[in-house]
Amino acid sequence: MGKAIEMAQVAKSYDGKPALKEISFEVREGSCFGLLGPNGAGKSTSMKILSGLLEPDRGSVSVFGRDVRKSAREIRQQIGYVPQGITLYEKLSAFDNLAFFGEMYGVRGSALKRRIGEVLEQVGLADRAKDAVEKFSGGMKRRVNLAAALLHRPKLIIMDEPTVGIDPQSRNHIFEMIRSLQQGGVTVLYSTHYMEEVETLCDELAIIDHGEVIAKGELGEVLDRFGMQAVYLELQEGGALPPVPSGFGKPAPRERGWVLETPSPLDALTAWASACKARSLKVKQLEIVRPSLESVFLSLTGTTLRDN
Amino acid sequence: MALSIAMKEWKLLLKEKGTFFWLLLMPVLFIILFGSVFSHLGSSSISLPYIDLDRTQASQSFLDSLAQKSGFRLEAKDASTLDDQVDRIRNGKMSSLLVIPQGFADEIGGAGGKQASVELYSDSSSNTVAAVRASLENVANDLRETKIDGALKAAGENVDQRKQALASPLLIDDKPQNATAVNTIAQVVPGYTVMFVFYVTISMIRRFLGDKSSGMTARLRTTRLAPLNYLLGMWLAYMVVALAQCAVLLGFGHFVYGLELGNVAAIVVLVILLALCGTGIGLALCMLVRGENQGMAFTQLVAMGGAVLGGLWFPAELMPKTMRTISHFIPQYWAQSAFQDIMLRGAHLGAILPSLGVLAAFAAAGLLVALLRFRGFMKSAMS
Repeated sequence: MGKAIEMAQVAKSYDGKPALKEISFEVREGSCFGLLGPNGAGKSTSMKILSGLLEPDRGSVSVFGRDVRKSAREIRQQIGYVPQGITLYEKLSAFDNLAFFGEMYGVRGSALKRRIGEVLEQVGLADRAKDAVEKFSGGMKRRVNLAAALLHRPKLIIMDEPTVGIDPQSRNHIFEMIRSLQQGGVTVLYSTHYMEEVETLCDELAIIDHGEVIAKGELGEVLDRFGMQAVYLELQEGGALPPVPSGFGKPAPRERGWVLETPSPLDALTAWASACKARSLKVKQLEIVRPSLESVFLSLTGTTLRDN
Repeated sequence: MALSIAMKEWKLLLKEKGTFFWLLLMPVLFIILFGSVFSHLGSSSISLPYIDLDRTQASQSFLDSLAQKSGFRLEAKDASTLDDQVDRIRNGKMSSLLVIPQGFADEIGGAGGKQASVELYSDSSSNTVAAVRASLENVANDLRETKIDGALKAAGENVDQRKQALASPLLIDDKPQNATAVNTIAQVVPGYTVMFVFYVTISMIRRFLGDKSSGMTARLRTTRLAPLNYLLGMWLAYMVVALAQCAVLLGFGHFVYGLELGNVAAIVVLVILLALCGTGIGLALCMLVRGENQGMAFTQLVAMGGAVLGGLWFPAELMPKTMRTISHFIPQYWAQSAFQDIMLRGAHLGAILPSLGVLAAFAAAGLLVALLRFRGFMKSAMS
């Protein structure tokens, strides 16, 4: 499988302040690639460089093997860019907005009408086509915002935080769309600061912080390499601090229970089970859990992504 | 692509409630308001209160003569209110009061050379008092002529001799040169049409800066749309808006007020050049201003300043000489002059070429500035 995106040693500064410090990553054709990092890490700048909106100060960027600077026009026709903000005309209907964007991508006439029907169906807003966008909820607007980037059947979709501030129903619609696009062979570059979204959607990822790629690769590989395994314990009594087995670190609260990160999870699980039994505590759930991107980010930066 | 941008703009303008108010209703209201104000200035709108203490045929005849000569609306007041009326003048609530004293008839008709008098109470700061005084002097002159005529007749002069003796040595021969349609509407309708073309800039600034701040300009840059097509499409949209605005306002003047449009071909070319000029300058402002508030301030400066200096509210001839000189550097002046040349003086296309040339030059300058600044506008929209 070929490379959809290749960014090599790309640097970009704004007024002398570096936004990207020679970052490099590659995205396989047909994959869903997550670009994970806190706000201000350089995700949007990377997306804008890939979309041809910004020129890098240094480094090379190619999309489907073509240099974005030399073949900007051809590349634009293969890219669907979903910006972070909702860029729609509120007074116009969903249909009129999509008709406008379709024409901007060179789709016209009956083909455009048909395609608008298809994408509205995909985002679950076919019955609201004639309604003004200003009457839509934030999540519905985000769905139309995404639909506008699909009208010309791009081979690569670049999504810059497409789920910020939306309801679960709209989030699910967007996730389903991404999966369906991926099944159709479309490459997806997905930028977010929500780790769960990357874990749910992406096969590969790059973690970006302060303009640098601090980890990249396939999801499982990154988790194995940088994440620490852990044991999860939930007591019948609720959230009270359980006994800490000697020789292990301090557990951290998660959901309704506690998580103990450790390089030897089996030993920790056994020790924790014994400690609970010795005190006659009723255990509701005790298991070894998969490392999370949260722990990866913590181990790499010393801070949690949420703190940022 | 440019046409798609323009079509989208027209759809948006039609959906926005304020569009019709600001671009059409507002100028129509201005035309109606100022058209009625100025068209009544020359008519008998000045009222002159009076108290007739004599109440004789002679006093009534004097009042009739005054009303006929001056065109004033005479307003009778009760004799008992004299003190109150004088107080009102002192308080600035009334400008003048004419009082015909008792015995007026005896004095004016009596022998012995006794001079009759009337009293004019007035606010010396009022502009209308001079007109009242001039009218009274006019009636007094008539009475004097009648008296001299009587004396000449008594001395045995015949009609021709008396007529010759009373004839003024100075004759004013009135020779109006303009077309018959000289009226305030020919000032107000083209004046407000020209003025409001420059207000289209407000809509242009809102859209350009709105697209930029919402990220729409950046998003469109990721499509096949070439940046220049974006500029062209936006300009085309507002160019058509300005043309439609001119057509509606001039049509309103023609059909409602009977404004003579003159040579239609000349009007059409002038309106096109005016729309090019207004939107060209508007486009330059869109590229130059840093925010909507700054844009509004510059638009007001261009539209209102241009309206005053360009003679859109009142004829440029009424302005001081320095201002008249400055007005030659204002596009509105040339547009208004050309409209009035066509409407009042029957000018054809050839006669307004200098005005068209100036408007074209302003349009070209505006478009050039817009083009030079466009790259910077797009660059700032991308980051």
